[in-house]
Amino acid sequence: MISQWLSRFCGLMLGVVLLAGEAHAEEKIYIVTSLPDLADIAARIGGDLVTVESLAKGIEDPHGVPIKPSFVPKLNRAQVLIVMGLEYEHSWIPALVTESRNSKIVKGNSGYIDVSLKVTPKEVPTDLSRAKGELHPAGNPHFNLDPEGGRLIAQTIAEGLTLNFPQHRATFEANLKVFLAQLNAKIRDWEILARPLHGVKFISYHQDFTYFADRFGMDYVGTIELKPGIEPTASHLVELMQNMKTVGAKIVLREPHFSEKVPNQIAAQVGGLVVKLPIMVGGSPEVKTYFDLIEYNIRELLKAAQVAGVAGKV
Amino acid sequence: MRTQLQLRVLIGLIILAFGIVGGLGPVFAQNPGVPAASEVENLKKQMALMEEQLRQLRLQVDKMAGQPVAPGSAGPPAASTADPALEKRLGEVENKADAALTATKKSFASQFNPSLSLAIDTIGSYKSNAQGFNPGDGTGTRDAGGRVNNSRPAGADFNLRTAELFISADVDPFTRAYAVINASADAANGDEATMGVEEAAIVTTRLPYNLTVRGGRFFADFGTLPHRHDHDLPFVDRPPSIDTFIGGESQTNGVEVSWLAPTPFYLRASGTIGNKLGADSREGVTNVNSRPIKGLTYLGRLQTYFDLNDDHNLELGGSIVETPNAEDITNSGRFERRLVGMDFRYRWYPLGSGVRQSLTIAGELLHDIGEADPVNGGRRTDVFGNPVRQGAWGGYVYAEYRLSKQWRPGFRFDYFQLQSEPLLVTNPLTGLPASTLNATGHRTDNRTWSPYLTWFPSEFQRLRLQYNRSVRGNAQSADEFFLQWTVFLGSHSHGFSERE
Ligand SMILES: [Zn+2]
Repeated sequence: MISQWLSRFCGLMLGVVLLAGEAHAEEKIYIVTSLPDLADIAARIGGDLVTVESLAKGIEDPHGVPIKPSFVPKLNRAQVLIVMGLEYEHSWIPALVTESRNSKIVKGNSGYIDVSLKVTPKEVPTDLSRAKGELHPAGNPHFNLDPEGGRLIAQTIAEGLTLNFPQHRATFEANLKVFLAQLNAKIRDWEILARPLHGVKFISYHQDFTYFADRFGMDYVGTIELKPGIEPTASHLVELMQNMKTVGAKIVLREPHFSEKVPNQIAAQVGGLVVKLPIMVGGSPEVKTYFDLIEYNIRELLKAAQVAGVAGKV
Repeated sequence: MRTQLQLRVLIGLIILAFGIVGGLGPVFAQNPGVPAASEVENLKKQMALMEEQLRQLRLQVDKMAGQPVAPGSAGPPAASTADPALEKRLGEVENKADAALTATKKSFASQFNPSLSLAIDTIGSYKSNAQGFNPGDGTGTRDAGGRVNNSRPAGADFNLRTAELFISADVDPFTRAYAVINASADAANGDEATMGVEEAAIVTTRLPYNLTVRGGRFFADFGTLPHRHDHDLPFVDRPPSIDTFIGGESQTNGVEVSWLAPTPFYLRASGTIGNKLGADSREGVTNVNSRPIKGLTYLGRLQTYFDLNDDHNLELGGSIVETPNAEDITNSGRFERRLVGMDFRYRWYPLGSGVRQSLTIAGELLHDIGEADPVNGGRRTDVFGNPVRQGAWGGYVYAEYRLSKQWRPGFRFDYFQLQSEPLLVTNPLTGLPASTLNATGHRTDNRTWSPYLTWFPSEFQRLRLQYNRSVRGNAQSADEFFLQWTVFLGSHSHGFSERE
């Protein structure tokens, strides 16, 4: 009696699972990304073949996204997971991947696409002591803020998708070509647009504008955080402001997930001004795509530099 | 009748087990050599990826030399010129690429090395009085919760609570394993630190149908805080109700099967068969003696989670543990341990600013409806010697507010009815031994109010100050102060079940 019911139940469950599998085969490729920039670029590369979803939203702290159990079913269904890498998401992605029970997207397997593979990381710690801070152990992971970083991200995503879905290689390559052609044109425009930013001195809350500053010739004076992820001490702030006064830095960048209190105080002390800049797509309502992100940051900085009277001559 | 029913359930379980095993056979057969072949395939793919990276590096060199390269060009690398300076640079970059390749290979190897972390948890405390009862039968002072000689003595104390080593690694493509080795100096053990294996378990990673099997010694899936290690709790001490009803951490030796439902929302179920539940549980069952099948402990848990919107979420769970015969094989009498638990967790964590401003309200409610008497290690009886069920309630609720990235004040209230007390404690209202209900039907209970404040100088260091005011039956109420200092060395893993 029991075994009869059990065999019926097992048969039913098997049927459900098989049906679900069949249904899946007809659907689009389901891609999950850690951050929204990756989702925007992956959607461009995958085109009509894919459905993309980012776990984090643009205004969040990308280093400290809360581990929400609602992410688990998404990762469980994901055919591909795209991450920034360089330990950017170390506090939340590994635990979620383990809980998702999806071996495809485990680090080292083909469904795990790490877009930092082509990036030469900056600020790599020479020793692995935590006394240097806790959030950038493999070097600075904020390479998405440099449009050249966007190029590498797009190329890695196209390769990763081709590896997983070789039958769609032609589509991915064609979409990549279109994306890169647009990006190249934009980069040429942005380099001209950003010329007045050359030599402009600034600080930010977190060490996240390194790649951006290097690209557009800006001068990074320091960060409010003592080390990446460590809140400032009073003596550190005093030293920072002294530094700013000495070199004449007027611009204080604030990322949306940091409190405005300390940046405002510093700006008041040194007679400068605070600029709120997103570090991911969606970090500001106007920033809907990766191209928007770069353009918005350049334009906001230009405005601020002009107001502060520190913009260079073109 | 009852035995017959249990026999049938047992047979059912065996059939189910065979069903699962039988179901696995065809799965592996359908995809012959799934893991082994795909591993090789993966390695091949990774090698291809590396070659591609090398090619890209060459492309970059050409670009550096000022040669126009079509963006994202998939064509062959441009022919190198005879320029010796360029040749030198190319050579340098190739060396760099080789070094990178070697490093990548190294990191592949390191994936087979265990990840290690060490938590050091040290506590300074002061307690005004011990709140113990002395039954006068030579068995020592009893904590009103029922455990012998296990209450913190009154007075000041500095205590290295734990130096806990966490080791975990993949065993092979199908399993991983972890162990938590603890050196702890308990007040009850004198000053000497004793080494113990808190957990050592094997976990499958590639079972189909979202199934995971865990076996060995582990903290069983019951409630939310019972399976957390001491240093991972949001407070200094484990809530007294949980500590009393479970018996410390929810440790067991056994096997657990858990399942993630293929639903669009989070739904997880688990079932466990183990020796016992509770690291310090005193039910007469130990890990040492064998026991009849009905002397094993059976657990079940169901949990789910909902995003109410981007900023608010709610987590709900229900658990049950049943030991049909809470005794080892040498005893003949039957007494049952049965606990049911409900837990909830509400969180307000605004998307952009949750890291520095958020609120958590969470709690657990336990109901002990077994016949076991944790104090006397037998069946619970009333004053007339008739068996009675515990019917005791217990639980806690706490709220924690994050003021900034570093500061988190909180408040916890804990309540539990004493499962049983030494008979010398007299109910002041009825004049009867306190194990019986008093005239109004109320049982002797324990209440603890605990404000606390946590400070995080960094993600890996934490200081916590806590005050406990506890009122326990007719015993004198006690005040307790704690200062806890905890650090984490190595790859402090943010495990899913330890999430904030
Ligand atoms: Zn960062």
